Amino acid sequence: MATKVLVVDDSAMSRKMMIRALPEGWDVEVSQAANGKEALEAYHAGKAEVMFLDLTMPVMDGYQTLEVLQKEGLDCFVIVVSADVQPEAEARVKKLGAMAFIKKPVNTEKVTEILKEYGIL
Amino acid sequence: MSISFRTVSHLNEDQRDALAEIVNIGMGQAGAALAQVLGEFVILSVPRIRLVDSQAVPETLAELVGAETTVSAIRQPFHNHLHGEAIVVYDEHGCRDLADIMGHDECTDERVEQELLLDIGNILAGASLKGVAEQLQAEITFSPPSILATHVPVERLLDPEALDWSYSLLIEVNFTLEARRFKGHLLIMLSEDSIDTLVQDIDAFLESL
Repeated sequence: MATKVLVVDDSAMSRKMMIRALPEGWDVEVSQAANGKEALEAYHAGKAEVMFLDLTMPVMDGYQTLEVLQKEGLDCFVIVVSADVQPEAEARVKKLGAMAFIKKPVNTEKVTEILKEYGIL
Repeated sequence: MSISFRTVSHLNEDQRDALAEIVNIGMGQAGAALAQVLGEFVILSVPRIRLVDSQAVPETLAELVGAETTVSAIRQPFHNHLHGEAIVVYDEHGCRDLADIMGHDECTDERVEQELLLDIGNILAGASLKGVAEQLQAEITFSPPSILATHVPVERLLDPEALDWSYSLLIEVNFTLEARRFKGHLLIMLSEDSIDTLVQDIDAFLESL
């Protein structure tokens, strides 16, 4: 069965780049969200087994989204994809339950490496 | 000039979105550089983009920066492929916080204060613009930063008559230190003759995706 992937970013271009960076041949059903609020709605609707989550977003940012997910008992594999490359940003999101951190701009090699590392691919 | 204006008024949704994301990645690198120098966690804003008539620059600055306190600012012109000014604006807390973090007692010594503003401004402007230029595969060169003004009302920061262009593309991002009141705004003002170039660069970037 196709893996349900949710791509969360306020930039449409950035979502497009992320979707294009998904490994070829990976059987996925992709949904998109433009902020944390939309992401949680999609997550509650069962559209997120794997979530690629941006941090700096209007309405609800990535940190706030992770906090809510953590409180609810995170049932989703979250990979943060961010332009915020402070080491502390990575440490914080991992504390909030994110499994991995990818620096923007994304590339297929890095995404593949992480998915393989965690046995998703 | 009318040609440029037409192009810009048509800066479409995709181009605007791409520009914001390109700036976002550039400022991410600047934020990390700032975090390293200050040893503090930096919170980044979502970029704001405006097309501004030079006469309207003072009120736009007041809108973007907030007019509550007096501000100090540095400017760093850039040229080559793109031409304009990077301006870093600090509010009064910003100055005091910087002095404190760097181990100075107070922001009383004018020379020390100006050095701090220049050093931090140089990091923010330089790293952000370098990040933007890299993504667009453009060459940008910088003039050294200089003090624009200290402790003035935000509306008085820039005199429209002193600007080299009649309108510009203004991009604002801000950096906040989580544990303090520090807030620094980076404003990138792109001259009117560079706007077309930027739009072409963005189109090329979008096409390459």
